[in-house]
Amino acid sequence: MSRAYSRRIFLARSGAVTAAAAVAAAPTAARAASLARRPVLPDVPVRKEAISDPTEATLAEAATLLRHRRLTAVRLVQAHLDRITAYDATYQAYVTVTGAQALAAATEADRRPSGPLAGIPLCIKDNYFTAGVRTTANSFIFDRFVPAYDATSVARLKSAGGIVIGKGQMGPLATTRATTPDGRITTVNAWTPTDPSVDPGGSSTGPACAVAGRMATSSIGTQTGGSIVLPSNQQNLTGLKPTMGRTSIYGVIPLSFTRDHSGPLARDAMDAAIMLTILAGPDPHDPRTLGLPRVPDLIGAATPVRRNGKVRLRRATRIGVPPDYLTGASSQVIALRKAFLATLDAVPGARTVEISYPADWSLLTGAFNDVRLAERTEPFRAWLQKDPTLFGVSLLSWLGGLMLSGDEWVTGQRAKTHLLREVLDGVLNDCDVVLQTGPVPFDILGLPEIGFPIGFDGGVPVGTILGGGPYEEDRLLEVVAAYQAVTDWQWRRPADPPQARVMARAARPRIDAVKAAATSA
Amino acid sequence: MGIPSDDELDAFIKARLTLAGVDLNRLPESPDPATGAPTRAQAMEYLRTFLAGAKTGGVRSGGRPAAINTWRPPAAGDDSAALSQQADPPLEYPSISTAWTDAR
Repeated sequence: MSRAYSRRIFLARSGAVTAAAAVAAAPTAARAASLARRPVLPDVPVRKEAISDPTEATLAEAATLLRHRRLTAVRLVQAHLDRITAYDATYQAYVTVTGAQALAAATEADRRPSGPLAGIPLCIKDNYFTAGVRTTANSFIFDRFVPAYDATSVARLKSAGGIVIGKGQMGPLATTRATTPDGRITTVNAWTPTDPSVDPGGSSTGPACAVAGRMATSSIGTQTGGSIVLPSNQQNLTGLKPTMGRTSIYGVIPLSFTRDHSGPLARDAMDAAIMLTILAGPDPHDPRTLGLPRVPDLIGAATPVRRNGKVRLRRATRIGVPPDYLTGASSQVIALRKAFLATLDAVPGARTVEISYPADWSLLTGAFNDVRLAERTEPFRAWLQKDPTLFGVSLLSWLGGLMLSGDEWVTGQRAKTHLLREVLDGVLNDCDVVLQTGPVPFDILGLPEIGFPIGFDGGVPVGTILGGGPYEEDRLLEVVAAYQAVTDWQWRRPADPPQARVMARAARPRIDAVKAAATSA
Repeated sequence: MGIPSDDELDAFIKARLTLAGVDLNRLPESPDPATGAPTRAQAMEYLRTFLAGAKTGGVRSGGRPAAINTWRPPAAGDDSAALSQQADPPLEYPSISTAWTDAR
């Protein structure tokens, strides 16, 4: 064991002890929030659509308008609340709307701006603790749970001036697309609001729909098996799952300890960079965040570089294209992927390269994915023993976790080590970033990935996923920022749902427990 | 060794759940819209499939435990089992380990 390694383990353990003491003394995330970064946001050009309707604005645009007093926080928050009132009966993106508190915070933000996010309305996935606000994780288990303190991520956003406008719908206990605990579909895809059968992506479905439907300027979700990048892909957003440990998950109801990540679902690369800059960094409450590389200049990375008026990549970057990228999807999606690759290849500094998977890729990212199930069972054992019906539609995968032995779980952790070496020494040896055909491999390894839009298929957004090396979120943002500077998918917003077609909750279809288990994160 | 029969799987599942303190008799016998919870039969079939694979033509093809416990870190040579023990120590947080050990 190297000295550096032992020192970092010591730091981590010290952090855990400090965290325990801090929780006992004062159950707040105030200390973690005090460590939050407070970046200076850039002034960005503001589109005329965003000036006439502030719900059209990206976070960066809204912050620019607010700083220059061309927009008030009260107007911004009220505009989003108006849309929630008008449309959320159809979208069903929110479990709880905190309108009165949000307006009070906006009034205060107009009086005394308190940080880079001052006045920005945010949707928070309902598995993040929010002080004094019900936190259900869309489950029977937490139906009446009202935390006394904010999750670190929430505390940091609020400390930076962000305003919580409500709690976003999610799959029960972060498993599937958003449903009630008994399996009735809640949140729809904002692009097909009258057709609940269209996949909106899960489990951070509500935050995605809230941002896509212009009912929040930005949002945070969690990802264990694709739950940030997939709803972002389905709803034309840019979602960034950071490297494990980059953001704290203290105060997040767990799904799988080694795979739960906190990150933004945002309107574009710049918004994702701003949100992650504020979320990222060490948290004494979460030892996974300690002893890690410093947070790079993510906002700089998300700022497109131009030379002689032409967009180019900030650094020369090889983009790996795996063998199934242009085969394992519908012909329409493959056509969009080809167009995406051609666009990217035309950006100076970008070069696509073919990469191959290691021989055991399917096994180690397929069957071995179920090793995670024991992790979800352990923290929920007391409820399983009390009454398994408390898990509603999501029960089955929790039972599955009881069927693996300890030695098999250890084998799963050894397989992670092996897979990591195959990715770092193999796949990422031939490229700097790599396109993904699914989120799970990099979820298993805790490596960063970003989902972003590349077009539409029959009116439904199509996105793609790009993965990177450990703590190299900046590299991902550089690529996506350049791509978004030469395309306009990220500016497109869905049409408002027809009010006459508002569907009552009872009319929504259901998913059953077997389907929930098959699609669980 | 072949794949256990459904009766053998059921006996294992029930014993394991009992040892874990989980009572599937609390689940409904028929679909319950009030909770959305699976029926006992659905839960048992999910667990049989998890353990031994889906049934096709009356035969199960192998489940998750076998897929996991037949893998070991690859190592070449006559002493591959012994050498495999030395490879790939378990890492709960592989990406974090790269930072803590400056492995990349």
